[in-house]
Amino acid sequence: MTISRRGAWAALLALAVLVLVMILVPGILIRPFAPQTGNDLAVAFLLRRWSPLVSLVAGLGALLLVRRIWQGSPRVLPRAAALLVTVLIGGGAWLARQDYFEWMFAPLPDARFVRIASVDFVQPGDMVLATTVQGDAVAYPVRQLAYHHLVEDAVGKVPIVATY
Amino acid sequence: MWERTVDGRVLSFRLAGINNQNFIMQDRETGSWWQQVSGAAILGPLKGKQLVRVFHDELTFRAWSMEQPGGRVLHPAADTAWQRFSDNWEESTAKAPVRVHATLDQRLPAREVILGIELGGVAKAYPQKRVLAQAPLHDRIGGVPVVLLVGPDAKSVRGFASRVERQELEFIRPVDDSSGTVLDVATGSRWDFRGRAISGPLSGRQLTPVYVLKDYWFDWMTYHPGTGIYLLGRE
Repeated sequence: MTISRRGAWAALLALAVLVLVMILVPGILIRPFAPQTGNDLAVAFLLRRWSPLVSLVAGLGALLLVRRIWQGSPRVLPRAAALLVTVLIGGGAWLARQDYFEWMFAPLPDARFVRIASVDFVQPGDMVLATTVQGDAVAYPVRQLAYHHLVEDAVGKVPIVATY
Repeated sequence: MWERTVDGRVLSFRLAGINNQNFIMQDRETGSWWQQVSGAAILGPLKGKQLVRVFHDELTFRAWSMEQPGGRVLHPAADTAWQRFSDNWEESTAKAPVRVHATLDQRLPAREVILGIELGGVAKAYPQKRVLAQAPLHDRIGGVPVVLLVGPDAKSVRGFASRVERQELEFIRPVDDSSGTVLDVATGSRWDFRGRAISGPLSGRQLTPVYVLKDYWFDWMTYHPGTGIYLLGRE
């Protein structure tokens, strides 16, 4: 493949801008305490859905371009700059795979339950979400739901998700 | 609280984002986005599908554990970050700003905590403080007579269809009573917070529960356009 050094630089920067936009735009659109239109959500959904694949391909492409730039220039500064842009794209590929909402509201993959007699972490006046299915009675304390927001369970063998 | 089975497939969910201050969930199986408050798939392959609600109460731990002594309770995660969250999440978040893509209905403050009921396609919001001050509170929603009862803890609220077969019932709270029970005017039977007649001519009868959603006013009005509001009496 023959590509000019200038062309390699242009392609590398274009990939960086593409990844940056795909990561930043949904992060801005669906941030907390911002209003969202249906269109905002559709755009955020599309970008969140495709950014893991696109950023991965962009990262691989960036590696090829860096190789080209290194071959074309013995100087340290352009080499280091190209490498830095590639690292940024790599960071974008990592971020595209993160669920940053779960950094604050941690998931609870293996919910554990205890009988009432051994409960020392809920005050009598604390609120709980409670349900009973097929004789299986369960309570999800609101303080814990406010932290996790989603807790998956099976109540009376019915798979459910408790949300708050 | 939602069932996770859609068209015979069990889904698992994670948080995916925010839509006007209500969480979006994403199922891992198809990547579709679901609105937490409505259980509706809003984007992705399952768009248009609807989760089935699991009937549940929001009540104090004391009230629940007295009714369900054999029940099980979600154990906290190993990290202690959950302790940062107040047990009154809604009240404690009340000072956070409200910016939503909707025209706010000014009849109530945006973050007023309401108890919302939807019956027969008709929605109505009851400011929580009015319910706590006035219970047993009677109303009619979508043609169904409804009563809101407050538990013996003066904090938990439940809704019921206030009729037994064809007979509509009106309830009063005896002045000398602290057990949270009420009497129906027609027969004088005594009813507990579970909606069950525990003494009198109707003893053993059970009222049909009505789902009550505790929510902020702005969130409720967003998902229930045209909702009514109960604004009578003291608060």
